[in-house]
Amino acid sequence: MNANIHERAQQLIAQDRVEGLSASDTDWLAGHLQQCADCANFAQSTSAALRALRSIPVPVPAGLAERTQFRVGLRAQQLRQRQPRHRALWIAAGVSWATGVASAPLVWRMFAWLGDHAGVPNLVWEAGFGLWWAVPALVAAVVLLSEHEKQSRESFWLRRTE
Amino acid sequence: MSATFLFPAISNHNAHQAAALPACSFSVLMKVENQALARGLQRRDPDLLDRLIEQYQFRLFRYLVYITGDRTRAEDFFQETWIRVLERGHQYDGKSRFEGWLFTIARNLVIDWQRQRKIQSLDALTAPDQAHPLQVKDERATSALDAVMNTEQDAQVQDAMSQIPAVYREVLLLRFQEELQIEEIAAVLGAPPSTVKSRLYRGLEVLRNTLEPRIS
Repeated sequence: MNANIHERAQQLIAQDRVEGLSASDTDWLAGHLQQCADCANFAQSTSAALRALRSIPVPVPAGLAERTQFRVGLRAQQLRQRQPRHRALWIAAGVSWATGVASAPLVWRMFAWLGDHAGVPNLVWEAGFGLWWAVPALVAAVVLLSEHEKQSRESFWLRRTE
Repeated sequence: MSATFLFPAISNHNAHQAAALPACSFSVLMKVENQALARGLQRRDPDLLDRLIEQYQFRLFRYLVYITGDRTRAEDFFQETWIRVLERGHQYDGKSRFEGWLFTIARNLVIDWQRQRKIQSLDALTAPDQAHPLQVKDERATSALDAVMNTEQDAQVQDAMSQIPAVYREVLLLRFQEELQIEEIAAVLGAPPSTVKSRLYRGLEVLRNTLEPRIS
């Protein structure tokens, strides 16, 4: 037997474990293993290594599941409490946006009048109008960011206190 | 996940009948179960989460020990993983197996932590050519696997395992202990199936070479 045959056999032994073999490859390998003691040993040592891998015990620390359930429960409670506040925030942002759209022509004219009255360039009062439009979104973003910050601090605190 | 988890009535039925279920019925059952699980996670159902923590504690903890090499860290990540499952449960669509999604969350947490701490290069977990194993030692300076082995044979296997780089330990665990398919492992790792296969072949070779002198 030449070296290529053994190489192929060893490749198929690994492939059998990783991906599985076609029927023809399985037959060929079985035939070869009956004739070749080295490759049969190779197959056995592969099986033994995988058995050893599967037999490694990794015990879970006592009470880990209970501690986790407690933490998850606590976090779920926090999330439930925050939910109505978030809903209120989104409703306020929606109402503010709708009001903004409805009053936009009026506000535009007001900004134009103010700009004209104060003698500032058009670009300035137009930028002011844009800013006025962005105020609700900015407020919502600030609230959400501060919530996120608070959440991170609480999460850190929870970790420290355990 | 176990097909009998959300439908305990099925488990009380005859186990032989369950074993005799045609493959397509089983996959339909799994699909239905995963979708029920996804709905429960979207609702942040506390009972469901408690049961999931209970059910997956061994598998998730083992996976975390394998990829971090540190039991204490694995404990922290275990808890953080479930907090993420609670917070991001709505992202699980029920189309894939829950354990794959769970392991992805756990893995991302470990990678984020490594990135923040900059204890070592992320490559240690993602590049298979790194010759040295992943070793994130804590003050107690015992490796994760040190603590869990008692018998001499176990100690030898442990020693061998700690010499295998984390990238290989991870795929070996997912394939041969968790019995995930190549595509599922690829989804967990965020890597192409070809990468998973090459890591598995290489990992299997390293495993055999490392264990052979100890178990023969």
